[in-house]
Amino acid sequence: MEFFAFHLMPWDRLPADFDEKYESAWTWLPNSLYDPQHGVELYNRYLDELVLAEDLGFDGVCVNEHHQNAYGTMPSPNLMGAILARQTKRVKIAVVGNALPFYNPPTRVAEEFAMIDVISGGRLIAGLVVGGGPEYYSFTINPTFAREMYHEALDLVVRAWTEPGPFEHYGEHWKLKYVNPWPRPLQQPHPPIWIPGAGSKETIDFVAARRYSYMGIPYFHIDFFRKNFEAFRQACEQHGYKASPRQLGWLCPIYVAETDEQAWAEYESHLMYFAHSLLKGLVVLPPGYTSPRSIANINKALNLFLSQVKTRADVEKGAYAIVGSPATVRDKLLEYIPSLGVGNLLGLFQLGTLPADLTRKNMTLFAQEVMPQLRQAIPAFPPIAAVPVPTYQRA
Amino acid sequence: MPNTQFLEVAGKKTQLIVHGDGPPLVYLHSAAGEAEWGTFHERLSKKFRLYVPAHPGFSLSAGLDQIRNMDDLAWHYVDLFEQLGLSNVPIVGMSLGGWIACELLMRRPQLGSKLVLSASAGLHVPGSPIAELFVDSFDRLRPLLFLDPRLPAADELLPSSQEDPRVLLWLRAREATARVGWNPYLHNPRLIDHLRRITCPTLVIWGAQDAVIPVAHGECFAKHLPHARLEIIPQCGHMLQYEKPDAWHAAIERFVLGS
Repeated sequence: MEFFAFHLMPWDRLPADFDEKYESAWTWLPNSLYDPQHGVELYNRYLDELVLAEDLGFDGVCVNEHHQNAYGTMPSPNLMGAILARQTKRVKIAVVGNALPFYNPPTRVAEEFAMIDVISGGRLIAGLVVGGGPEYYSFTINPTFAREMYHEALDLVVRAWTEPGPFEHYGEHWKLKYVNPWPRPLQQPHPPIWIPGAGSKETIDFVAARRYSYMGIPYFHIDFFRKNFEAFRQACEQHGYKASPRQLGWLCPIYVAETDEQAWAEYESHLMYFAHSLLKGLVVLPPGYTSPRSIANINKALNLFLSQVKTRADVEKGAYAIVGSPATVRDKLLEYIPSLGVGNLLGLFQLGTLPADLTRKNMTLFAQEVMPQLRQAIPAFPPIAAVPVPTYQRA
Repeated sequence: MPNTQFLEVAGKKTQLIVHGDGPPLVYLHSAAGEAEWGTFHERLSKKFRLYVPAHPGFSLSAGLDQIRNMDDLAWHYVDLFEQLGLSNVPIVGMSLGGWIACELLMRRPQLGSKLVLSASAGLHVPGSPIAELFVDSFDRLRPLLFLDPRLPAADELLPSSQEDPRVLLWLRAREATARVGWNPYLHNPRLIDHLRRITCPTLVIWGAQDAVIPVAHGECFAKHLPHARLEIIPQCGHMLQYEKPDAWHAAIERFVLGS
């Protein structure tokens, strides 16, 4: 079992009239609301929290990419990954991920990820993602080409890492005469690849076929994850191997305090700020981003989404967040982790307006009073089944 | 209700309705995908033999995978006109359809005898941006498309909610529109320099309160098309034929049937 500390680096100071005045925390939220002076403190504090994760014994840290929003102020997760490569010595650095269609040409991702991998001594986990719906508005990238661009770019990045250059890439969206990125990654044949998904059959099948790892897109009801992870295991069976729990990751907000009551008293307002303000406008499905039927299905599944929760009881029932005393959090995770069959727990220990002191206390209690017991109770997982023939190499 | 037929146009299954007696008229629909027979089609078919093709990806037309941009869509219509033996015919283009008509006629001017550009997309007019149409909420779309969002005719065009059975067709229409119109947003920066090639008489017709494509676009079309005149319908939003049907039909009949 591997434990990761995930950080979104949220903006924690939306104005009091945000709910009435703004329809979204994304894309169109005026950037005059961003205060760079406060940003100085915030970025440095958030980085310290990720460095703390190493000191506390976590296996890894996670950063991710979002643009033009208050939910996550990391337009370049690679900058954060580079800082963490220097400021940590041991933890895995999961950049989950780079939104491939936004990198032009996408070989930039091969280069920057290789840099982080080399600087960190081979600690990078490479997340390769499509990018969020709102970001197709923010960058005016045609979402009807999102999947095509993503698949072309992903193949190109993996090929750039594994096939000696220079070679020509002649694709639908990029035509590159000389693909020959320096540096090459330290991990061979390439860093582990993590791909997030919200249950689309196409993504599950693709990740299973390539033997990459599948991360459940967060903030849904636990039943939604259960169904998708089961579908992933079945897809692996169909591709002739047994999925390792290492191939599955569950991202979940976690808050630990001395007692259940104290945990809820300290946490609830921050969780609700996250759920009702920062998530506002996250689920935007631009045309063609996925098929019309999938869009209609996701629109229907939104009643199983964290932004819809109103009460503590709603949160607990759907396991949208794991909150309580060390014993409570331990018991819940001991129930959920084996039932989901995941080998990676991606804990979101800071969210919304949760301040520095409570974040550090939360991480410390988790690392000292939850993590060791979970490590003991959950058996070691087999490695990911070796790929007989590298399927990412084209015939 | 007239029959819906399906043609193969260069490998693309294409939905087409042809109905009415009289001189031919081709209607190229908007991003809303009004390619299923409705009130205004019926009324046009009283005066014309009306051709209503659905663009690739709209209604039950397939072939969006072969449409990479507006260039491909324009050539699709070159093929369709040839297949139907249509040439030197009047064309009405509504919004997205107006843009398609311009792209078609700048390549093949002889295909059009007269052109009606109804609240047409296709241009970028500095200071008069086209509104964001790619929003999820029908409650936000209605006041964009109609001066009076409570207009009963609006229900004929728009699904009422995400539970409406027409939502899937609506999502298809949105995707097919985005394919050609996401970036540059619903226009071709080069179009303005090619408008001089469209030499047929042109009626540019606009709703005075169009909140999607401001009237300034109509003025720009009228200025750059060689034989165009602009007619503005008062108290009217973007979807003219739903909001002010009498004025819209009268203007088209006068222009197309007049000498």
